[in-house]
This record gives sequence, structure tokens and C-alpha cells, in this order.
Amino acid sequence: MARESLRKRKTKALLRRAAVVAVILLVAVIPAIPIWMMYGWLVSQSFSGRVILGILPSKLTLDNWRFLWSPIKMGEKEYPNIWPITMNTLFLALGVAGLVVMVSSLSGYALSRMDFKGRTGMMQFIIALHAFPSVILLIALFVILNKLGLYGKGFMTLVGIVLIKAGLEIPMATWIIKGFFDAIPWDLEWAALVDGCSRWRVWRSVILPLVLPGIGAVSIFSFLSGWSEFLLVFTYVAQEEYYTLPVMIYHMIGEFIHIDWGMLAALGLFYAIPTIIFFSVSQKVLLRIYVGGVKG
Amino acid sequence: MARSIGRRLLPLLFLAPMLLMIALAWVSPLVLTVYLGFTDLSIKNFLAFVKDFFTDKVSITLDNFRRIFYAEDPYVGETLRVTVLYVVSVLSINAIYALALSIAIAYFTKNELLSMILRVTWLLPRITPGIIYALMWIWFIDPKYGLLNEMLRLMGVPDSWLPDSWLLRKPYSQMLMIMINGYVGASFGMIVYTAAIKSIPPDLVNAALVDGASEFQVARRIIIPLLKWPILFVTAWQTLSLLSSYEYILMVWGAGSGQGYGIARSAGVMVWSLYSYTKAFAEHLYGYASALSLILVAIGLALIILYFKIFGFRRLMEPSRVEV
Amino acid sequence: MVRVTLDNVSKFFGKVKAVVDLNLEIRDGEFVALLGPSGCGKTTTLLMVAGIYKPTRGRILFDDEDVTDLPPKDRNIGMVFQSYALYPHMTVYDNIAFPLKLKKVPRQEIDRKVKEVAKLLQIDELLDRKPAQLSGGQRQRVALGRALVKEPDVLLLDEPLSNLDAKLRILMRAEIKRLQKELGITTIYVTHDQVEAMSMADKIAVMNKGRLQQYADPQTLYNKPANLFVAGFIGSPPMNLVEGNIVEENGTYYFVSSSFKYRLPSGVGELIASETSSVILGVRPEDIKIVLGDGDDNVISGTVYVVEPLGRDLLVNVKVGETLFKILAPADLKLEPGQSILLAPNEKRIHLFDRKTGRAVI
Repeated sequence: MARESLRKRKTKALLRRAAVVAVILLVAVIPAIPIWMMYGWLVSQSFSGRVILGILPSKLTLDNWRFLWSPIKMGEKEYPNIWPITMNTLFLALGVAGLVVMVSSLSGYALSRMDFKGRTGMMQFIIALHAFPSVILLIALFVILNKLGLYGKGFMTLVGIVLIKAGLEIPMATWIIKGFFDAIPWDLEWAALVDGCSRWRVWRSVILPLVLPGIGAVSIFSFLSGWSEFLLVFTYVAQEEYYTLPVMIYHMIGEFIHIDWGMLAALGLFYAIPTIIFFSVSQKVLLRIYVGGVKG
Repeated sequence: MARSIGRRLLPLLFLAPMLLMIALAWVSPLVLTVYLGFTDLSIKNFLAFVKDFFTDKVSITLDNFRRIFYAEDPYVGETLRVTVLYVVSVLSINAIYALALSIAIAYFTKNELLSMILRVTWLLPRITPGIIYALMWIWFIDPKYGLLNEMLRLMGVPDSWLPDSWLLRKPYSQMLMIMINGYVGASFGMIVYTAAIKSIPPDLVNAALVDGASEFQVARRIIIPLLKWPILFVTAWQTLSLLSSYEYILMVWGAGSGQGYGIARSAGVMVWSLYSYTKAFAEHLYGYASALSLILVAIGLALIILYFKIFGFRRLMEPSRVEV
Repeated sequence: MVRVTLDNVSKFFGKVKAVVDLNLEIRDGEFVALLGPSGCGKTTTLLMVAGIYKPTRGRILFDDEDVTDLPPKDRNIGMVFQSYALYPHMTVYDNIAFPLKLKKVPRQEIDRKVKEVAKLLQIDELLDRKPAQLSGGQRQRVALGRALVKEPDVLLLDEPLSNLDAKLRILMRAEIKRLQKELGITTIYVTHDQVEAMSMADKIAVMNKGRLQQYADPQTLYNKPANLFVAGFIGSPPMNLVEGNIVEENGTYYFVSSSFKYRLPSGVGELIASETSSVILGVRPEDIKIVLGDGDDNVISGTVYVVEPLGRDLLVNVKVGETLFKILAPADLKLEPGQSILLAPNEKRIHLFDRKTGRAVI
């Protein structure tokens, strides 16, 4: 077979590699520039009085972080102090995480280990719920909240939101925890049963320690999901002192005329801290969960 | 005997809390949505309804559906158009662009550090809390402070093409809506696809290279056919969630006046689900809003049943598995 | 067909040195086996020849052409992978046709060639199936077909038999050898199985820890191992190796270990002593004769430890002091554990290695 000369083949190979690099640039690098700019801006803006070219900080200052020790003022409007709002957000996140973990570790175990009629059906039901977009239910949930007498009741409204949010998260959390239970070999449980433990004791002293990583993942995940919850609070909470951080930030963005980018950036960064921490610590597990269970 | 009853009750005991929560957060609102869709519930009879579900102040009616299907509500048509635009374009970003992105990141990029940096970058939109993501976009598109116009100018886009406001000028606002949701969608697609690409046995790719394939041919003839199920999964999943998602639109455009009503309509970004939301929480027409939602619920349920048929149980749970 | 030359090739993955300064020449039409334990760098070497890895240093030549920078696409090679790597979404026909389609060969010609190869490998009945529907042996043939259909200049085989059962392995061993001779393709065969390498290859390159240990034909490798590693790796049961020293007594040289003393043939002793005195003695199990009763004076006495009948012969484990010898003896020999016997190594077939460097001294 006639062959092209070596040099010609080498040139062609180089050209092909160049085309590949061009594709990488075009598809993955250039469209990523806005992302880099936005995050770059968020960080540098929060620490500087003025930013040059959008992302280069100048005049380093902590002034933007003054909301940590003094009341927030933007334009004419004075906002509630940051700490009670943070506590509200924390309450919501911890409440959701606690409730979700308690409920879903019980049900995840039952689905993984117990044999009962309708088990497959229930699993399919859970998957279906998990796929179903829950935001559609906001209106009916509003009616239910009213019916339960939890609307417009300040702190009790937040409690109601915790219940609803946890309820919405539970199908997925159950599924994840079931996965962790599935990964535990049966022999272990049998061995313990043979040794004369009751099923309850088996659960507490043998299985639970082994699923702790799963429980950890689910707690982090539901904590973050409660921490970032926006719509429920935005829609159901009318009194400012029971806002959570995202809702307060939303209303501050609304002050178009008097917008204080520096303080908003700092506040945004402050709010993102738990997300950043949890993600850098446990990104592998969280990613796995994100792949399986995303509502977007 | 007592033992066997205990054995039968035990699963129920374990499952009871979950079932209770599901009943509260899923089943009852679902049923209620169906019911409300056929009522004229609004601010006028709302309190009476909350006191007594069967009050005669709330009447059962088909009016809501007549308004929707006979276009008696002049905005339904426009909302539908925006929704189709929104779902179709964001979906193509989700499924197709994200595929190209993932191949570029997980296969073309041989340098591991660069590959990792790109992956983390493209992950950010998805994991950032929504309101911060919205805040960054609002800054980015700001004609005075933001960088978008600056960047486009640098790339050679003439000044006359750039809008004075990305939020309000119409084709631009819709482009913005697609971009904001598209980045998040690309992020989701990328997570699924890169995991799937990483699970393709390296020998398969090497075999194709030895057989004489270029990098592009490997992508087209080996990687993409093997990602058939993940692609279908992303498309299916995102169709469902896009149909009902409006959170980012609400965060960016709702900011203005009134609870969530904002400037979405004049900006041409009022999607179906957001329309339902504003009907309920800005105009307090709960019955009509529920009817609008009910249509989404019906589509959602139909799609879920369809997906179960197409994918089967297993594939629905392991989207990133490549079948070799 | 081409001659393949590896010129001082090294491959590092970060700090891991997978292949170090490898020099190898594979002549046109030759069948060469790369043999070594797992992790010795043999597969890395193969992938460098294929063009999938680029060497960190050194050059790879096909005939006189430097192909180091060429991608696999431009090298015209065929390769069979350990996992076979059949494309799961294509039928057998499409799998075999794939390399030709990429070369833009006309349709009729593709069809003709695929059928020809399928016939040669006796898989013409399977062309419509998907890989998942094939048995291990069938997959192996398809993979071979895909590698051969493009009439490659070089055929690369990466442990192609390791996923087959023992019987099929022996069958395919002969078949691949016959095919290679028939087509005359320069072939590199990677394996960790010395029997495979010995039985199939014209020449064997033994590798360990990324370095070439010896490159020779099977007989030379067996009879004249260049170092301790090759000596221990080639041959089954393995060579007996005993540490000891060379000692001179009245002009005669002895090998002395902690448990026995053995007179070296004249001439050999002087030669070794001039280089080193601390050595390792190596004798293959079949090169030791078991003497019952009195033998000549240069024997080692030991006791039978255990006897393993192998059918054709006996594998006798003999304790000499603390040292355990493995010896192949005729099957009709009657031995009891605990029995005292004498061992007479074949003087002409003993090996001595420098204990420090591991290199063979004779």
C-alpha cells in the first residue's frame, strides 16, 4: 500500500491535535469565562471598596462586612439584624436535616432489609416521587399550611416549612440510605441475630455504625438543601423577622436604585460559607447524590 | 402467633414516619391540587375554605379549564410560547451541549489538572445556592457595573447590538433566561456524562485508536453510542424538571415590585409554572392557578409512567452506568 | 511487514518508572514475547509501540521511520487486548469492519475482507451477533479478526489468552502461532505466562521492574539465564537457588553453603574466584540426579522431605540441612519421606550468579 511520507503524516497528526485543542477551548474554556468572572467578582468585591474591570480588587476594606456587627441599611430601608436571620436559616437547615435523617434511616432500613408485601411497589412509588417536580405543589401546600394554622404565625410558620421541606426531601433521602444499607453484607446481620441480639439491638449496635457515612452524607445534603431553600420561605413567610438569608438577600437585590454591590457580595459570601465548606470536605459523596437526585 | 403479627407490623412501624411525611408533603397537596383546579377558590372565599373544606362559598366549576383551553385568558398563548422556547432551548443545552462539554473535559483534555479545574468550574453553577447564582448574574449583566457587555465588546460585538438592559429588552431577556438556566443544566448534564465517560473501559477507546480512529471519531463512534442511556436519562429528567422550574426566573426577574410578579411578563420570560405561581400568590386566584398547575401535574405523571416503561427501574436509578 | 526498534525508550508516570532505557529490536516477521510479572512494564511497552502512550524518552522506529510522535492511527498496527475490547454496540461484522471503514475502504472490499478473515478464524457463523452473545473463545477470535483484517504491519497481543479456560488456551496457543507464521506479521506478544512465551515465541524479552533482563530465544533463555531473575522466573518447577561462597582448598575450588559443600568442575572455580567469592548456585530440578546407595565422591547427601507425583515424573523435595531442593525424578523411583539419599548435580548444567549483582558468572 502506498503511504504518505512520514512528514506529511506528522503534520496531519499535529493538525488533528490542534483541532481537538480548539474544540476544548471553544466548548469548555471560553464559555467558562463568565463563571470565573462571576466568582472572581463575588470574592474581590466583598473585600474592596471599588473593583477595577469587574474583578480586580482595589482599596481593600472590611467595610462591606459591617453587617456582621451593625444593622443593615441599604437606601432608606433598614433590614433586620443579620444574626437572627442567620439563626432562622440555621433552624430551618438543622430542622430539615434532623427530621430527614430520623425518618429516612428507619424507612431506608426497612426497604433494604425487611421483606413485606408491596415492597417493590413502594420503591417504585418513591422513585416516582423523586422524579416528580415538587414545586408544582406550592399552591396546595399553601392551603394546607393555612389549614394547619401555621400561616402567618411567625416562628410556627418556619416549623411548618421545616415539616414540608423535610417531607419533600424524604423520598430521595430514603433511597440514598437504602443504598448504603444495601451495601452492608447480610451475613453481618445474621451473625448478630444468631448471637442472640434482637432486631432492634442489631440495628442500633451493628448496622447503624456501618451506615454512619451514609447518614452523614444525607445529613449534609439535607442541611444544604434546607440552607438554600428559597421558594417556601419566600412564599409563605410574610414577617421580615422570620426571613432566612436567601430571602433577605433577594429583597435587598430588589433595591435596584440603592443597590450596594459590596455589601451584597459580602453577604452572599457569608451565606455561601456552609456550602463551600461541606462541598470541599465531602464532594465525592455529595456528587453521587447530586447525580441521582436532582431537581432543577 | 404473636411473633408473626409482630413480624408483619415491624416494617409498618419503620415505614410509618416516612409514609406520614409523604402524605403531608406529597399526597395531600397532589390530591388537593386536583380538587382545587375544579374550584373558584380565590382571596374572596379563601378564609371560609380554610375553616371548612366543604363550605358552600367555594363552588365546583370547569371555568378554569375553559379559560385555559379556549384561550379566554389572553396570556395563556404567550406563556405557552415562552415555555416551549424555554424548555426546548435549555433542554438542548442540557443534553447536547453538556455532552460536547463532557467529552471535551473528560476525554479530549488529557492534562488531569486542567480537566479537574474545568470540571470544578462547570460544577459551580449547580452547587451554588440559587440566590447567590442569581445575584452574580444580576451583577454580570448590569450595563454599568457588570462585565457581560464589556466582554461582548471585546469579542467584537458592535455597540448597537448590545441592549441597554438585558433584563427588560425582549430577545435579550429571553437569551438571558436561557443562559442562566443553561449553565445550571450544563452543570447537571456534565456530572452525569463525565461519570459515564469515566466508566467506559479505557481498552475500548485504545482499541478504537489502534483501529485507526482519530479523537473525533472515537467520540462520535464509540463514546456517544455508549452514552445512549445517560443521554436519554438526562433528557427525560430535565424535561420534567424544566417544565415546572421557575426558581431562577423568579429570583432574577421577580425582583421588582409585588410578590414574585415582578417584570417577568414584560420581559417575556413568564413560563407556565411561574404564571401559575403569580396567579396564586400575586393575584390570589388559587383555583385558576391550581388548574394551571394541574396540567403540569398531568404531564408530569404521564412522563414518569413513560420513563418507567422506557428505562425500567434499574436504569432510572443508575444514570451514569455504561452498559458494556 | 516491518522491523520494530525500541531505542533507549523510557516511560515515567509521575514518579513511577514504568519502563527504563529499553532497547529492543524485533526483526521483520519475528514473533517476540514480552514476558514478566505483572507491573513489570510489558503492557506499557506494548502501548508505546501502539502509540497510545508517548515515551518519556527515547525513540521507536518502524523500519527506518521514526514513529515516536505518530498517533496510533498512522502506524498501521493491529492489536488484541486482554479484555478483547470489542465494541459492545456493534455486531461482530461491524466490529471487524470498523478499522476498514475508518480507512474509507470501498464497501464491497470491506465485505470481502471481513468474510475472508471470518472464515480464516472460523467465526463466519457469528457475524450478526453482538459481543455480549459470544463465548470467551469466540470473542477472542473476533478480536483477532479485527486486528488482522486491516493487514497490519505489526500485530500486538496483550495477554490474549489469559481470559480463556486452560483447554482452550492450549488450543489457541497453537493456532495463533500457526497464523503468525502463515501471515508472517511481525508480532509482539505480552504475557506473564512463561509456558506461553516459551512455546510460541521466536524470541523472548524478559522484563522486571521496567528493565529488560534478557532478550534471547527460548532455549538460550532456559539454558543460559543472564541473571538470577531470569533463572528464577523461567522454568517450572523453578530452579533451585542456594547462597554460598567459593572456597579454594589445595588448588580445588568448592562451593560451600551453610549446609553442604560441592566441588566445582576444574576451570570454573578459578574463573569465578577471580570475580567474586560470594555467589548463588543454581541447578534446575531436572539436572540433579538422585543416587541411591554409593555414588561418586562429589555428591550432596540429604533426606527425602516429601514426594509429589506429577504423572510423567516425580517432584521430590529433598532437605539438605536447612536447604530444600526440588528435583524431578523418573516416575518409577520408589522413595519414602525420611529416606537418606545422595544428590548428584549435572556438572555441566550448574549456574553460578554473583550474589551482589545477580548476574550470571558462568
